[in-house]
Amino acid sequence: MPASSAKRPESGRAVVIQLARLGDLIQSLPAIAALKGRDVERNLSLLCASPLASVAARFPGIDHVIPWAGAYWHRWAAQAGPIQPRVEEARSYLEGLMPMTYARAYNLNQHPRAVLLSTLIAARVMGPGEKGPLDRGGPPWAAYVRAVATERGQNRVHLADALCGFCGARPLGVSLRLSCPSVSLPEDLSAIGQEEGAWVALIVGAGDCERCVPLIRWSEWIVRFLERHAAGRVVLIGSGNEREGGRAIQDHIPSLVLGRVWDATGRTTLEQLMVILARCQWVVGADTGPLHLGAAMGARALGFYFARARVHETGPYGEGHWVWQAESGTADECPISESVDVVLSDRVSATDSQRWTLWQSHLDQWGAYYTHPGSPNPDQQRERTWQQLHQSEFPQTTHEYV
Amino acid sequence: MNTFEINLAGLSMRYPALVEDLRRVRGGRLTITAARTGIPTATESGRAIHSAYDPQKEAMTWAEAQTTALQPGEVAVVLGVGLLYHVEALRRRLPRENRIAVVVADLSTFHDALACRSLGDWLDRVDWVWGDAREVATTLMSLEHPLRFVTYAPAARLHAEEHDAIKLALRRMAAQKAGAQLHVAVVGPIYGGSLPIARYTTSALEFLGHRVTWIDHSHHDRSYHSLADIKDARQRAAMQSRFAELLSQLTVVRLSEDPPDLVLALAQAPLTLPMLHHVRQKKLITAMWFVENYRHLTYWQQLAGGYDYWFIIQQGAFPSMLKQAGAGHVNYLPVAADPSVHRPLDLSNDDRVEFGADVSFVGAGYANRRAILPRLIGQPYMFKVWGNEWVGAHALAGALQRQGQRIDTQTCIKVFNASRINLNLHSCIGEGLDPDGDFINPRAFELAASGAFQLLDQRSLLPELFNEKEMTSFHSPDDLLGQIPGWLHEHEARAAMARAARERVLREHTYVHRMRDLLSQVGMTQPDRVGAVLRGERTAGSLVPRSTDHPALSAILTEFPSSQRVELKDVAERIRSRGPTAELTQDHLLLLLLDEYRMERRDLV
Repeated sequence: MPASSAKRPESGRAVVIQLARLGDLIQSLPAIAALKGRDVERNLSLLCASPLASVAARFPGIDHVIPWAGAYWHRWAAQAGPIQPRVEEARSYLEGLMPMTYARAYNLNQHPRAVLLSTLIAARVMGPGEKGPLDRGGPPWAAYVRAVATERGQNRVHLADALCGFCGARPLGVSLRLSCPSVSLPEDLSAIGQEEGAWVALIVGAGDCERCVPLIRWSEWIVRFLERHAAGRVVLIGSGNEREGGRAIQDHIPSLVLGRVWDATGRTTLEQLMVILARCQWVVGADTGPLHLGAAMGARALGFYFARARVHETGPYGEGHWVWQAESGTADECPISESVDVVLSDRVSATDSQRWTLWQSHLDQWGAYYTHPGSPNPDQQRERTWQQLHQSEFPQTTHEYV
Repeated sequence: MNTFEINLAGLSMRYPALVEDLRRVRGGRLTITAARTGIPTATESGRAIHSAYDPQKEAMTWAEAQTTALQPGEVAVVLGVGLLYHVEALRRRLPRENRIAVVVADLSTFHDALACRSLGDWLDRVDWVWGDAREVATTLMSLEHPLRFVTYAPAARLHAEEHDAIKLALRRMAAQKAGAQLHVAVVGPIYGGSLPIARYTTSALEFLGHRVTWIDHSHHDRSYHSLADIKDARQRAAMQSRFAELLSQLTVVRLSEDPPDLVLALAQAPLTLPMLHHVRQKKLITAMWFVENYRHLTYWQQLAGGYDYWFIIQQGAFPSMLKQAGAGHVNYLPVAADPSVHRPLDLSNDDRVEFGADVSFVGAGYANRRAILPRLIGQPYMFKVWGNEWVGAHALAGALQRQGQRIDTQTCIKVFNASRINLNLHSCIGEGLDPDGDFINPRAFELAASGAFQLLDQRSLLPELFNEKEMTSFHSPDDLLGQIPGWLHEHEARAAMARAARERVLREHTYVHRMRDLLSQVGMTQPDRVGAVLRGERTAGSLVPRSTDHPALSAILTEFPSSQRVELKDVAERIRSRGPTAELTQDHLLLLLLDEYRMERRDLV
């Protein structure tokens, strides 16, 4: 459904639209890889929220990043006054951002904003909005993801792989990494990852309170880890809002081991955070953007999933990651000692708790999946779902879309 | 030809009448001296009008500060003449599309300016407005552009009264011309005297054609009062505070559901300062009609900076006290009556028996009433007291009706109609009349609108609301006792005064009048927002000619009735209603996308 624009779409160009937050942006990596990997899209742009553009710029296979300044749109929308000048401003912004329209938009968001934007900038939309900008149905994969979000159920398809489905592609089943930016760290943090040792990036916060591991539990985790590993090092990471949390964690760490803790909360840009994560062997935290970013930078991830987080849907993508999933347990009861064992020995010590279960990540032809340690066979449900929903294999030629 | 004549020659083409008037006046109001830079500067009674060092630089700084607020197409109405350095600087700074109108409140000052400075050709690129308040207001209204006042304070202070009168006249004219269709959220209190006023306000706004969201907190009255049962005083206060906080948040949630053009809170509305700051950050315009005595209820000191506009029922020191406490715009707005509620009634004989009396009083048992009213007992006329909170007033036992139960509005109006004399005694904590008696209570307007005769305690603000043919007052309890027998025997005089008072209310003192006044005041200071709506610039008929470059938008706008206000959400709704298979243009999609961002209101909550 092309928007009636005077501009002609450029036939070889396609754009992936991902307007959501950091975690979702990282989860888009497999879809982009799938589009590029099969040589379907030679020239692929990525449109994302402008604060995340520096991360998107490190995505393999992306030729051009389009930073979307939602704040402008909020301002125009909230403005009092006649409608016409606001439409004019919006149009100018769009033209300044994208002089040419695209032949195809791969929309990875279900929000009407992304649907409308896809229709505005591309001759053809794949994913939500492919049946028209006002059609709320979308492709089967979109309906599937919506159903998973509302009903939960026994889904085993990872969100990142479902996003491949949005694009009409199948996952490649490989781990994907971002290249490390060449930015320097603040001087006092520059030693991170440069000394010998087991470096762990620990994510202090997670936005909403209900998604956060209590700070005292993090203190316990760090103390246990540093006591058991003489060469262990911990880097606290988080935004400026988490600086106070970072200090509170350190308040409960004995001074004897405090020298092995670096506090980087609120002190890094996104690019610097990427550097830190790339220098750490492990990233530990709740289901957050930095956890996924850490995995994409090559660190092994250990996640604590509770509240609404589900390992099978949004566990760190790739192989060798671990997730503790709350079954009936709360964040207060997250397994400290057992999770330190995982980081130290890549093995699970016996746990008597049924309130938290441990999962390990794998990859196969259907993408990422998680199993209990020692039982690597994937659930058959993923294959069935793909066969059911993936009605046609991705076309081999592009001209039919133009 | 001297400087004065050269300047007059510059004005004579467009303003021959002004030139004639200027020839008739003499200057000399300003004292002219040379500034350090050598150019003229001025003082008045020893106070500087312009800088003694560099008036031009000072004027440029002033002009720069003013231009940020001015929107394209607005007329800058300059208050304060002086030697016109500031006007010259503003003219140089503003694009030609922004007209400048200078209010000449005093020709003598203008004469001084024209006599000492060669003003050059910019003189002709300014609109000069002079005359009495009504003439100035008429001229400004005739410019047919949004007006934005810019004040050059050192010069404007010489004519503050004239400027106030001009603004008032303008407000009234704007109110008469105002179109409708604002969306106003009225936030009422949980209980108390401002609750009925919130209802009347809502009705008046609806009567004027505006869309009103009535955020009624009176539903929470029982819950709030049940907290009074908590025995521990600290716990009780904490719970009441939390309850008010909850209602404040609830108000913001309601506002976020359908953001209004104006949030109008009545006194005692449960809106806390942090919530008000939050609402203002989200660009909602907020106003408080503080229909309370500022000497008794002092929370205005904490909330002053929370509202964009304060409307108050008192004058004197209060406006400046409010401003000192942080209020931006402060305006006098007395209470009023709702003639659909407060009206003459045809009473049945039974009603006349039950509610009638020679002298009646309706109200709660405040200290001064408990002290004064017993003096009416035992007099050779029938005296009845209605209302609650009279426990312990044994001297009034024989006069107190319905065992001192609270009576509803309808019963009040029956009492007003059935009584020969209605006593209106403003409450106060002392034993006599209120020594600071200034504002007029709602009862005065309600009695007048009901066609009832009243005797009112003396109030300093009475004369500008009612003249002596419309309302009479007493200055002491003895004066009251002295007047009653005379008025009881003057049936015709009572009826004539009651009739005149009612006519005055219908002419000037209804809540419809008040809301017109309030909205035009907000509109005058928000010409691009509320003002634009009131001027009808957001109607479909007004928007269509401005949308010719956008055929899709223009076509949608023509689908609406010409007089209907149309906003982004209305256009988007119309597009969506075409269904999922509709053919959409780029303009349609841009409109829908903007509307999606508009709908994202999580951050307001």
